[in-house]
Amino acid sequence: MKEMTAELEAGEVEEDLVEQAYEALDGKPNAPKPQTKWEKWKENFKRKGWILVFILPALIYVIIFCYAPMYGILVAFQDYMPGDQVLGSNTVWVGWQNFKTFFSNPNFWDYFVNTFLLCIFGFIVGFPLPIIVALLLNSLRSKKVKKGLQILYYAPHFISLVVLVGMLKLIFGSDGLLDQISIKLGGDVNGLKLFLSPEAFRPLFIFSGNWQDFGWSAIIYLAALSGVDPALHEAAKVDGASRFRRIFSVDLPAILPTIVMLMILSVGNLMSCGYEKVLLMQTSGNLETSEILSTYVYKFGLIGGQYGVGTAAGLFNSVINVALLVIANFTSKKLAKQSMW
Amino acid sequence: MKKVIIGISAAVIWLVCVIAFAVAAGKSGGAQHQFTVLTVKEDAVKDYNTMPVFKQLAEETGIEVYWTYNTSTQYGNNTDPVGIKGIDAIYHSGFSNLKLYDYGRRGRIVAIDNYLSVMPNFKKILNERPDIKEALKSPDGHIYSLPRVEEMGLKTYPNMLYINKKWVKKLLDSGWKLPSGVNLTEADLVDGLDLYRSDFKAILQEFYDRDMDETIPDKNEIPLTFVSGNWQGNESDLIASFGVPENREHKTIVNGEITFTVEDEKWFKAVEELYDWNQKGLIRSTSFAQTDSEFLARGQDGRYGAFYWWEKDTVLAKENRDDYIIVLPLKDEDGNRFVGVSNELEVEKGACVILEACEDKEGLLSYFDKFFEPEYSAQLNYGSIKSGAFLSEKVDGKLIPNDDHGIQSADDFRMKNAPYGVVYLTKEVWENNVQMESRANLRLENLEKYVKPYTFEGATPIPNLNYTQDELITLNTYESSLSNNIASWFTGSITGKTPPSRDSWLNLLSTNRNSIDTVKKINQEAYDRYIAATQGN
Repeated sequence: MKEMTAELEAGEVEEDLVEQAYEALDGKPNAPKPQTKWEKWKENFKRKGWILVFILPALIYVIIFCYAPMYGILVAFQDYMPGDQVLGSNTVWVGWQNFKTFFSNPNFWDYFVNTFLLCIFGFIVGFPLPIIVALLLNSLRSKKVKKGLQILYYAPHFISLVVLVGMLKLIFGSDGLLDQISIKLGGDVNGLKLFLSPEAFRPLFIFSGNWQDFGWSAIIYLAALSGVDPALHEAAKVDGASRFRRIFSVDLPAILPTIVMLMILSVGNLMSCGYEKVLLMQTSGNLETSEILSTYVYKFGLIGGQYGVGTAAGLFNSVINVALLVIANFTSKKLAKQSMW
Repeated sequence: MKKVIIGISAAVIWLVCVIAFAVAAGKSGGAQHQFTVLTVKEDAVKDYNTMPVFKQLAEETGIEVYWTYNTSTQYGNNTDPVGIKGIDAIYHSGFSNLKLYDYGRRGRIVAIDNYLSVMPNFKKILNERPDIKEALKSPDGHIYSLPRVEEMGLKTYPNMLYINKKWVKKLLDSGWKLPSGVNLTEADLVDGLDLYRSDFKAILQEFYDRDMDETIPDKNEIPLTFVSGNWQGNESDLIASFGVPENREHKTIVNGEITFTVEDEKWFKAVEELYDWNQKGLIRSTSFAQTDSEFLARGQDGRYGAFYWWEKDTVLAKENRDDYIIVLPLKDEDGNRFVGVSNELEVEKGACVILEACEDKEGLLSYFDKFFEPEYSAQLNYGSIKSGAFLSEKVDGKLIPNDDHGIQSADDFRMKNAPYGVVYLTKEVWENNVQMESRANLRLENLEKYVKPYTFEGATPIPNLNYTQDELITLNTYESSLSNNIASWFTGSITGKTPPSRDSWLNLLSTNRNSIDTVKKINQEAYDRYIAATQGN
């Protein structure tokens, strides 16, 4: 055992010596020619390259599931149906035809605006909510209450979408709980007709979504808050700062980098609200606001068999998302000195 | 430690062997068959391989077909069913016009018209019925699927209005009178009840105001209900009573011209009136949001005052069925009655497609050709003779359906025993070879008596039209957005908080003018071609 330790120590000492030697050689007039960046990198890779093994699984995952399927966007420029080769001798290229078909849809702008509004309202309500909740939870004195509330808040996250929409229909739908109460209290004989009215769709969608996810999203902020140095709080306390004051002056600045990063990511996803829940909540009455780009892609592309047009619409959506991401990143770089790249 | 490692390794090796064996066994599963056909059916439907009708077919043709299946959900999730390995054909393919053509022109499914020499029955049908031939053609003139033809004359009229006569009697017993002054007596409460729309509305109002059935807890009675936009039991006939040939697509042919009912002032009047009915609780908003299964479930406890549906038996529990009678199409103030015709077609494409991968297309098609013979068609549509769908003895040369299935209902029996799909049951077949089911017969009689005579003059369904590829794509774009816009305006106006305004209706028309005109033009041209082709032959 002792021998092994001695060996290890000897190895470390040797490495240290080598490193010291490198440092000593650097910049000295009689030293050999300084290494180029590439040579340095190579040297470094030889010594510490094995660490890269740890990112290999993530890299493989990203390549297989995120990059490899991207060739599928070529379908947007083809007359394609499943079973055709995406790149082959019999591929029928149609140029921008699919985009033309998509943009010439008389309802294109309606779908676009619906998507934008649904997502932007969702963002405005949904982004600050978990931050506020995390800050409040963090400043609770009782650990037990904090834990209890936290579980209570994030439990709805595990409800499946279909069940959630089922619950919404039972409570807010025709002849649902709310309707029954409203009729009993002498309201409209048909109840509130929330699922049939285009005005109610967005609030129902957004608030139910946030109810389900605010607790879950707060976890990441809570994690960031747990890293705040207690000494800062104590110092603030000594200076006479109130609990409220400490939230603003200690907690918030501490999680600001996390907030900014998550905001950039959210903005990058601004135009993708997911079609499943929208489809589940859609009725002929609320189509005016509930038909969005992704439900159109689903209906027209997948159900209607127009794969090219569907992909074109999806690609259009992604391009907007990328543009938003770049803008958000640039703005935050300028204003908050924080950015993803 | 060593032992543990050896133990685990042995277990892993053993497991791998078992899995490999299972996979190998699965691959070579069973004997080789001449043909394998994929069908789409639910688990509850019997295995096609055990159905006597297919055994009979195998014996007669000497062709052995092995049936494999997907449930409709599995099938629906498969974006490329034609690419499934090891199958020769897809039964119940359900492919749309566009899909048939897309697969056809890529040479992935077979152009059946090239094999008519081995299909005497199908060839005869195409020669005798140019309308069917025209309906089956793809834009390139080829026929890519076998059809399902079931001409009973039922689908054109998918709605009948029923009313709860027990409730009406209760009203009459209390001394209540119809506002129009018509003297309604208990003797009038039989099938074919004749009512003005205004009287019907007054009855519904009473249904709403009074507690019509003490057994139903407070105010859960539903005066009038339907499933908006559904293919059967929708609100079309109620709107048609205002004098427009309405159907669920708002699109029909009047005297040879494609017509959109939404453009008619009377259609707007109907929407205005329906808004009022909704406001007063006579039509609950549920009618615009429920699915057909929800509608059927709600009907079981007899809380419907009146409803639109295909027939009453499926809607009502056995003990309530006698309480409901058929109401004639509602009369307007001048005493006129109107019903529209639906575009549900009796000739359906896509019942079966043959894949290019099939090695002996002639053989398989000659097998499927047998399906068009009356005796096989009947068995495919209702169940095999040997399984008891028909009586074993023919009467006057006709197959007689067996209505007695013991504890099973006729619907249940048929659902389990009949493969449906490719059949050819025309008026001629009903007259000479097969007797209609008593339920279908009853409905047909009821339609003849109570609905058909009031068809809007000159209104006919839009037949299976043959579009060019460009037309198909344009229609696909415009029709989906147009029907979305009409549906949302229609439902929004009837269930909205304020009465529908004329301006909003005109606005609906003007914003969708381009779509309406385009859809009309394409359909009209295709219809004109259809007429030329069918009458030219």
